[in-house]
Amino acid sequence: MTEVIRDIYLTNAQQKKEWAAFLADLGLANFSEQELGGIEAIIGLYDDDRLVGTGAIAGQIIKYVAVCDRGAETKGARFNRVITALENRLATLGRFHHFVFTKPRYIASFEHIGFRLLAESDLGAILEKGSPDVTQYLADLPKPTSEMQRVAAVVINANPFTNGHRYLVTQAARENERVYVFVVTQDASLFHTSERLDLVKAGLADLPNVVVVGGGDYMVSYLTFPAYFMPADASVIDYQTTLDARLFKNLIAPACHITTRYVGDEPQSRTTAIYNATLARELAPEIKLVVVPRLQTADHTGVISARTVRQAIAAGKRHDWVDLVPATTDQWLQDHLASLQERIRKGQEIHGN
Amino acid sequence: MEIKQTAIAGTLESSDVQIMLSQSHDGVTFDLVSDVAKQFDDAIKATITQVLAAYDVHNVLVKVVDKGALDMVIRARAITAVQRALDLADEPNWEVL
Repeated sequence: MTEVIRDIYLTNAQQKKEWAAFLADLGLANFSEQELGGIEAIIGLYDDDRLVGTGAIAGQIIKYVAVCDRGAETKGARFNRVITALENRLATLGRFHHFVFTKPRYIASFEHIGFRLLAESDLGAILEKGSPDVTQYLADLPKPTSEMQRVAAVVINANPFTNGHRYLVTQAARENERVYVFVVTQDASLFHTSERLDLVKAGLADLPNVVVVGGGDYMVSYLTFPAYFMPADASVIDYQTTLDARLFKNLIAPACHITTRYVGDEPQSRTTAIYNATLARELAPEIKLVVVPRLQTADHTGVISARTVRQAIAAGKRHDWVDLVPATTDQWLQDHLASLQERIRKGQEIHGN
Repeated sequence: MEIKQTAIAGTLESSDVQIMLSQSHDGVTFDLVSDVAKQFDDAIKATITQVLAAYDVHNVLVKVVDKGALDMVIRARAITAVQRALDLADEPNWEVL
């Protein structure tokens, strides 16, 4: 009896049906387009023609891992084979660092094959494996000096950097000896990660106690956490934000001696409001959460929002953005207006958070 | 020699070992997970260190997931990983082999 690894293609209706049935049998039943959308490859482990294990790759995330041990020679052998196949596949793509999101009861199985737990909650866990990992990310961060007592952090997407972001950071910079500004790494935004990072650095260059760093893979935008293994009635947003908050509290904050985190309050987005509430609950008591009221527009018609800036870009109306962003961002927008509008024309979503 | 690229060799199956090598600036650092680490982690490290020395590699991060591999298996996987990491996969070092 030999078991072989074969590719599974969701474009093949028969294969997709068999795959979905296998996963549903093992309690994985969320096949929403959003979850399936990013999948690049799916492998199946077959005992003759019977599917006995599967796993998928989406970027640097391993997803949809499920194994049936019925009829296996030893417990865990199929699981290890599936992960080996996925990791070899990732290696041929030049990816040597990957993550898995899973149920808490499978943490040990992943730890046995070299994964490291980054954060866990009652609902789910995130683990990583490979190189460069969180140890290296933290080692590369500039550290505060031993005299610095008050160190704060701000995490922003800055899509793009506005006066609102600057206001938030300025508040933190006034009340602390050092402020870390972590810019979320996520190329799903209108502005690419490197562009957002450059604009944040340029817009804060005059504040000597502010350090701008990329968020690496650890300031994951919580919206990107996969949720396919969650029961349908669970609060997905709660699970995602809890993991994000714990990862920050347990790994990032201690490495930089961060004692306070600053966030903008969120009158408009329900998701962000939940996120802020979760942060407040999870970070206490070791880390203080300071909620700063959002900066109003000059004419007091509302708060400054990056979304408004993106809409002004789409419409090509500098008049509508010039008062909302620092001069550095304004100049960059003028210089790159055509290419930004081209991205929007090609379907880049601009109305999200 | 310097590690040119991250490389991996081996599997997570029983009696095998998975070795990943990546760039580092401060000597040879091990990160080892093994079901038999208590008894054999020194032996596993010694075997891999020997292979690294034979290729003149002195700065490398070595991540190992051992599934109870015998010494010769560890040696073979280490050689493959080094050759890939040094981009020498097509020109085996016969003296080491």
